[in-house]
Amino acid sequence: MDRITRRVATDVGGTFTDLVCFETDQDTGASRIVTAKSDTTPPDFEKGVLDVLERGGIDPSGVDFLAHGTTVVINALTERKGVKVGLVTTEGFRDTLEIARGNRPDFFNLHYEKPVPFVPRHLRAELPGRMTYTGEERTPLDLSGLPAILDAFRAEGVEAVAISFLHSYANTAHEEAALAEVQRLWPEVSVVSSHQITREWREYERTNTAALSAYVQPVAARYLHRLDEGLASRGFGGRPYIMQSNCGIDSLDATSRTPISMVESGPASGIWGAAELGRLIGEPNVLALDIGGTTAKCSLIENGEVRIMTDYWIERSRKSAGYPIMVPVVDLVEIGNGGGSIAWVDDFGKLHVGPQSAGALPGPAAYGKGGTEATTTDANLWLGRINRDYFCGGDIQADMAAVERSIRSLGARLDVGPDQAAEGIIRIANNNMVNALKLVSLNRGFDTRDFTLLAFGGGGAMHAVALGQELQVKKVVVPAAASVFSAWGMMMSDLRRDYFVTHLVELAEGAGNRIESTFAETEAKALATFAEESVGADQITFLRYGKFRYQNQEHTTEVLLPGGAITDASLARIAEDFHKTYEREYTYRLDAPVEMVGIHLVAKAEVGKLEMCPEQSGGSDASDAVKGRRMVDYALEGKHEATIYDGEALRAGMTFKGPAIVEDSGATAVIHPGNAVEVDAYRNIHITLEG
Amino acid sequence: MPDPFTLSVIQAGLENAAEEMFAVLRKTAMSPIIYEVLDVGTGVTDAAGNLVSSGAGIPTFVGVLDKAVKVLVARHGDAIEEGDVFVTNDPNYGGVTHLSDVVIAKPVFFGGARVAWSASIAHWGDIGGKVPGSMATDVSEIFAEGLRLPAVRLFKRGQPVQAVFDIIETNSRLPEFVHGDLWAQVAASNTAESQILALFAKFGREAVERAIAGSFETGRARALAGLRTLPKGRFEVEEEQDDGATWRAAILITGDRFTVDLRGNPSERAAPYNTSRDGAVISSQMIFKALCDPDRFANAGSFALLEVITEEGTIFHAGPTAPQGYYFETRIRLFDLLCQCMAKAMPGKLPAGSFSSIFGTVIAGRHPDTGRRYTMVEPQMGGWGATGERGGMDAMFSISHGDTFNCPVEVAEARYGLTVVQKALGERPRLEGIHAGGRGVTLEYELRGPANLSVGYTRARVPVWSAPGLPPGGRNSMHILRASGEREHHRFVSGAVLDAGDRVLVETASGGNAPT
Repeated sequence: MDRITRRVATDVGGTFTDLVCFETDQDTGASRIVTAKSDTTPPDFEKGVLDVLERGGIDPSGVDFLAHGTTVVINALTERKGVKVGLVTTEGFRDTLEIARGNRPDFFNLHYEKPVPFVPRHLRAELPGRMTYTGEERTPLDLSGLPAILDAFRAEGVEAVAISFLHSYANTAHEEAALAEVQRLWPEVSVVSSHQITREWREYERTNTAALSAYVQPVAARYLHRLDEGLASRGFGGRPYIMQSNCGIDSLDATSRTPISMVESGPASGIWGAAELGRLIGEPNVLALDIGGTTAKCSLIENGEVRIMTDYWIERSRKSAGYPIMVPVVDLVEIGNGGGSIAWVDDFGKLHVGPQSAGALPGPAAYGKGGTEATTTDANLWLGRINRDYFCGGDIQADMAAVERSIRSLGARLDVGPDQAAEGIIRIANNNMVNALKLVSLNRGFDTRDFTLLAFGGGGAMHAVALGQELQVKKVVVPAAASVFSAWGMMMSDLRRDYFVTHLVELAEGAGNRIESTFAETEAKALATFAEESVGADQITFLRYGKFRYQNQEHTTEVLLPGGAITDASLARIAEDFHKTYEREYTYRLDAPVEMVGIHLVAKAEVGKLEMCPEQSGGSDASDAVKGRRMVDYALEGKHEATIYDGEALRAGMTFKGPAIVEDSGATAVIHPGNAVEVDAYRNIHITLEG
Repeated sequence: MPDPFTLSVIQAGLENAAEEMFAVLRKTAMSPIIYEVLDVGTGVTDAAGNLVSSGAGIPTFVGVLDKAVKVLVARHGDAIEEGDVFVTNDPNYGGVTHLSDVVIAKPVFFGGARVAWSASIAHWGDIGGKVPGSMATDVSEIFAEGLRLPAVRLFKRGQPVQAVFDIIETNSRLPEFVHGDLWAQVAASNTAESQILALFAKFGREAVERAIAGSFETGRARALAGLRTLPKGRFEVEEEQDDGATWRAAILITGDRFTVDLRGNPSERAAPYNTSRDGAVISSQMIFKALCDPDRFANAGSFALLEVITEEGTIFHAGPTAPQGYYFETRIRLFDLLCQCMAKAMPGKLPAGSFSSIFGTVIAGRHPDTGRRYTMVEPQMGGWGATGERGGMDAMFSISHGDTFNCPVEVAEARYGLTVVQKALGERPRLEGIHAGGRGVTLEYELRGPANLSVGYTRARVPVWSAPGLPPGGRNSMHILRASGEREHHRFVSGAVLDAGDRVLVETASGGNAPT
């Protein structure tokens, strides 16, 4: 009998579909990681998943748990590959989607172009019926016009219907009635109403969310269905879990109903991994940094909890207003600064790095595939930070002649030599990342000295120490197998749902009951949904957050509420928690009435996590892991001869000092002079900055 | 001499400081016109008041704060101490715009010397004066427009000057809002101050000052590169206004100078439609920036090649007692006039005219459900002009606006206790074979309780301009639809009394047309 537990994470990216399998022997506790990669196979993405299982030699029938992440939703949106959507909305408001918010971020530009709505005007229809902001019916819903609307949609080739009525966050009755009627009149059409996705106010954001969800729904549902069938036909006995944007996983059936919740699932698993690893090593306050090929993403974890928000936009920039999607998404800042980011000099002699990326083709100059522009990776190679003889784990022979040409030509435009140009690239790239990290930490009133910087992804460990020194973090931790860290995070995820409900309540007498009943109602709904999926109430834990503000303000501050039922007796403490959190972030507090704008309820259930086995310390001597020495240019700290360690040979308990480099096949950690390093019982590298 | 990368890092830090001020102000303000409309500007200046970086929501606020700080430096000079914070809202005292826009500015000291300023400007919901919302149309002097704060201290050496706080709160109909907004602006200044100080501490004064000088040079070089692409010569324009007056402007472009000549315009009026000279300079900065360097990057260097000539005593250079409550309509008319001038000079290079009105709409009353006072201050969206390549944009805020957000109907109904009956794209005539101007907006509010209405807009009589030879775009309009069935048309009105059941119907113009 096979006593090995196999937990598999698969991830469909733009170019590759990745697999990571964690095998644990139940008898010995020994574990093994299997990784595999195959091409992504659009439009039949599920094929790539089945391919990669085969390539990794994984028999689906022996898999105990399978989590799956996919970019299929975000790709369908950005490549405009969804279906034709018809929108049904409140009389007088069919143009909400097109009027949008009227803003122009590129505000000196008289040629600004407003984003085009996903549903054109002739496919936006209205029905009479009106709710008030308190959820009372002001005008009854009149469904008599619906058959004609649906006929027109059919004639136009509409494949999905979105329903969004004013104030449906406060009372869902009209949307529910319209939804049922659409399903009755046109059973085969894919349909979604806004309240099924969110119960928050702001009609443009909610309507756009419903429209975008409808737009991707048939595509995503088809894909998930085929994946499910394909896995089952190869003997997988369970159901796959799907990675969500809120750092949780959800069931395949729930995800198929509102797939828009997957939209930003890509970075979520790594950030969740950072929270879990922080718990494991006793560091609950973490700054998570994920540096990939194209972007760097960072997020702050306070006391083990990730921050989830619903203020997510796609295609928004200083040049465009973008499109809002009001779903729970982990709060992160993403910038166009990764290993492949291109360094360039503007018309006025200033050096910039990113956001353009050399991508996989031609890639950095070092790939030797015709790339002529210097990237961050090329600068890291030139400065000796990446081993030119062990580039990409030895898979690629670094084309150092091409690297030199690209850096010299950049230097010529800046009137500096190649070393200084390469140092400049690293410094500008690091500064971009420091500013992103400040946005999630210092600028919100968090003191970075209380935080551990946890760096992963292909490039995280390369830059982490320099960034950590700038931010004066407590220490820097590079996880073992940093390049597959996101997959690890996916296996550590809980079944998790975040519910946001707008409900205005002034924190005054009687508020306790009103707040409690909003939570109780939402919790009952959550329990009922989980029960349908055979997850019992005893498996579920709740976290209750309230969103508060001073009366008359608009923006809110989220506060974790105390356990137990909320009564009027709890209000003083809640108000004080709000004042404190507000003051931390904004430096002052007001003697003004406080109101709750809505609740944020987290419901989660464990579905079995990977058990991590600590390793006995083998002593502090790290000499067995040394593979050589070489000169490394540390940019601000100049050139030093560094000891090179083989990351795969590091064992628990080893210690050493910088200047050093730790290399494994997927990542390089740059340890600066003066740093002290210790390897923990899980082979994570802890770097103390002023050793 | 610091290396170029260090200078870049410092410059990025100074830009972040202004951006972060903006983020703080947006998240903490109490007035919707600040946190939603983003009728707000934030900026960092050098010790003398030259603009270093800005984080505005509205482009016309980018060039305001430097002017305010310069007045503070001129008036208080050596008496300015560490921990001081100043407030001004009067166009005669560096306030530039109208009394509703309040500037709060804090000097930043490093090693005992004043090295920079962090400043912000924001529109407060009510600053006193004749009508709720402080936007009276029937005033003949600035004294009737509200409380005047003539560049005075709000904090002295870190301590609040309580008398000034008290005067402000006593003069506003919305003291709790004003209090919240004031603190939001102070917090924004403190945020920027700490970021600026961190740069000085890390890199030293010399390096930061070099970085600032370098960014001024970049601003100038960017503008010069754009200026060189423009046609040289003198270009003139004149246009009849809704009130029958004719306004004129001339733009003179040479290899290194862009001069806007506003001489020969009507005398200032005893009505709130005048602008300060600074306001006219801002209209000129807007067209200059749009033509030469439309990127958001802006500092003192960006405008170094611009010269503006005005005549004191005209509507574009009002005297000390002239009312300026609706200065923004005058300023946007001037910006639009300058656009028209250059559109003629450079056919096909600029879009046709837009609805180009702020269309400030103020409804003030008591919330029918909570009994609390409210003031809704909202600009309106309208149609933009077509270009040679495409039709005009539908439903955008004006060319003077920027990252301005309309108030969601769901939020407005909760906050003001009124009902929004419809918010739709407006109609426009069908025209074949041209690129049509964008659609305006039809917006209808229904009152649930008594309230006061103040509203003012232009382009009510003279329609939006199109490319030569094409039919013009639309006109803006506003009606009160009484519950009794009567229909009243208004252009500039303040203190109009509304009752439950009355409706306010706003219909903004479609944009100007362009040839295919």
